[in-house]
Amino acid sequence: MQIALLVARRIALSAITLLLVSAFVFFILEVLPGDVATRILGRDATPEALQVLRDQLGLERPALLRYFSWLGGLLTSDLGQSLVSSRSVTDILAPRIFNTLMLSLYAFALYLPLTLIPAILQALTRDRALDHAFSVLTLVLLSIPDFLLATILLLAFVLWIPVLPAISLVDETSSFMEYMYAMTLPAATLAIVMAVYAVRMLRDNLIEVLDSDYVRMAELKGLPRTRVMLRHALPNALAPTLNVTALNLAYLVGGVVVVERVFSYPGFGTLLVDSLQLRDLPVIEATVMIAALVYIAANLVADIASVLLNPRLRTG
Amino acid sequence: MARTDIGPTEIAEQRHGFVSSWGQMPLSFRIGAVILGLHFAVAVTGPFWAPYGYSQMGTGAPLSGASLAHPFGIDQLGRDVFSRVVHGSWIVILLSLSGTLLGTITGAIIGLFSGYVGGWIDEVIQRLLEALISIPFLVFALIAIAAAGTEHSGNPFLITMVVALVYAPRIARIARAAAIDITTRDYVTVARLRGEGAWSVMRRELLPNATSVLLVEFALRVGYAPVLIGSLGFLGFGLRPPTPEWGIMISENRALLIIAPSTVLGPGLALASLVVGFNLFTEGLARVLDRTVKLGAQ
Repeated sequence: MQIALLVARRIALSAITLLLVSAFVFFILEVLPGDVATRILGRDATPEALQVLRDQLGLERPALLRYFSWLGGLLTSDLGQSLVSSRSVTDILAPRIFNTLMLSLYAFALYLPLTLIPAILQALTRDRALDHAFSVLTLVLLSIPDFLLATILLLAFVLWIPVLPAISLVDETSSFMEYMYAMTLPAATLAIVMAVYAVRMLRDNLIEVLDSDYVRMAELKGLPRTRVMLRHALPNALAPTLNVTALNLAYLVGGVVVVERVFSYPGFGTLLVDSLQLRDLPVIEATVMIAALVYIAANLVADIASVLLNPRLRTG
Repeated sequence: MARTDIGPTEIAEQRHGFVSSWGQMPLSFRIGAVILGLHFAVAVTGPFWAPYGYSQMGTGAPLSGASLAHPFGIDQLGRDVFSRVVHGSWIVILLSLSGTLLGTITGAIIGLFSGYVGGWIDEVIQRLLEALISIPFLVFALIAIAAAGTEHSGNPFLITMVVALVYAPRIARIARAAAIDITTRDYVTVARLRGEGAWSVMRRELLPNATSVLLVEFALRVGYAPVLIGSLGFLGFGLRPPTPEWGIMISENRALLIIAPSTVLGPGLALASLVVGFNLFTEGLARVLDRTVKLGAQ
């Protein structure tokens, strides 16, 4: 009962946060800049063109009213029309979100082994050469910006091991294999960036758990090392890593903006950059709201999961 | 005793010890400090000894790779990439420092205030900060730049403001947690009973005792500012060419990646080594101040 209340409270708070994000996004993009029409069309636009755009956006109405009608649209998944192509924003977004979702799933599939294997190796060889080598490697990787990492991977695979494409073009007609082929480099970039954070944390957690009494006990009983690691240590070390994984999901939302751009992958991130360049407000607003929604949902799930996994937090 | 109890005098002592016991500092701190020292030295002196100007064309055959005369090669326009990297150094470092400093000050004021006053004001501020943090920071930076409009695009002052804007809510959250912890201490109660006002308690009790938290937070954030600035430059929303900002250079020379990899790897090396330096320094600093720090962009 208490848990249900706690979860309900967290969901309500997340909803409030999302509402505030929508107000902020609307305010910063449509109210703050003064005359939005001039901002979109530039200073040398003709007065007629400006008037057409003002009518299209309904700029004569007070800002608060415009906000509520936009918010109402969001809630009923009517995201408006693009200013550039006059297609509905939903139609533009849907294939992009699908592409980014595929990319994210692929990245997460690569992320798991990239996190687990180095962290387990490090914990097993703690304070020896291999452990130190991985620590230095993760620290260096942690310091390489994602756009640079993507560029280096591109160089490595296109120049030295020419098996993967430099540009990840896909469309609705692409087959599953074509998708996989195109997505490998961007997915690997995202997976490495995410894994680096998680490896550092999981290594420390694993070492802490390996020092605990119950793992000693399991070892003293004569259980094989792999069994001790996989059945006794790993599950207990994974729980705190959950938060990092949620943070990583949150990173992914921003990370795709840069990484998709490097590989010209037609996802949600390239759409945001393109629509920012074209100053296509309805598309920008919808993309930012989706990014925030994913971020908030990821944190919500992580919070609830950690409460469920750790009984001590349930009273909070 | 928890380190939040360190008074101003003890911090001064630590600062003194910082100079005298270099050998006792953590290895990561020392390596980081050396890397940062080299970067700062290049930033300050570089413009005087760089072989060519940052926009000087015709320094050699365009698109040529690394050589002794041109360690990072020559770009499409015939500019020496090494000189451009050197000239860009002070821009990247200055914008990172000023943006992060502004963000830390703003965030500290908001966070300390929110944590100290508590109640519904705190609750409201928390919700607002949470909303700002919920927009991924690169996306946040991009829409802030879009809101500023084209007439400000490429303005270094705008980039500083954007860095500050992205960091302030994140730092405020840390400062608030510190303030809540400090507010429960006896010396704050004593100060309140003496009749000190909220502003005075914040300035004289909270701020000095939150210094080490804020210092580590500042160091952590300033290390990622070059990445943020570089990402914006890379996407074409940051500073404007021909400014020799490293992210812009990586983006410009990406087309030459196969012909002259050094034109991309050169600025990349500068950027990555600066961030490595900051990260090592921060990790060491956190250990000295007895704080845990989680390196990471979020």
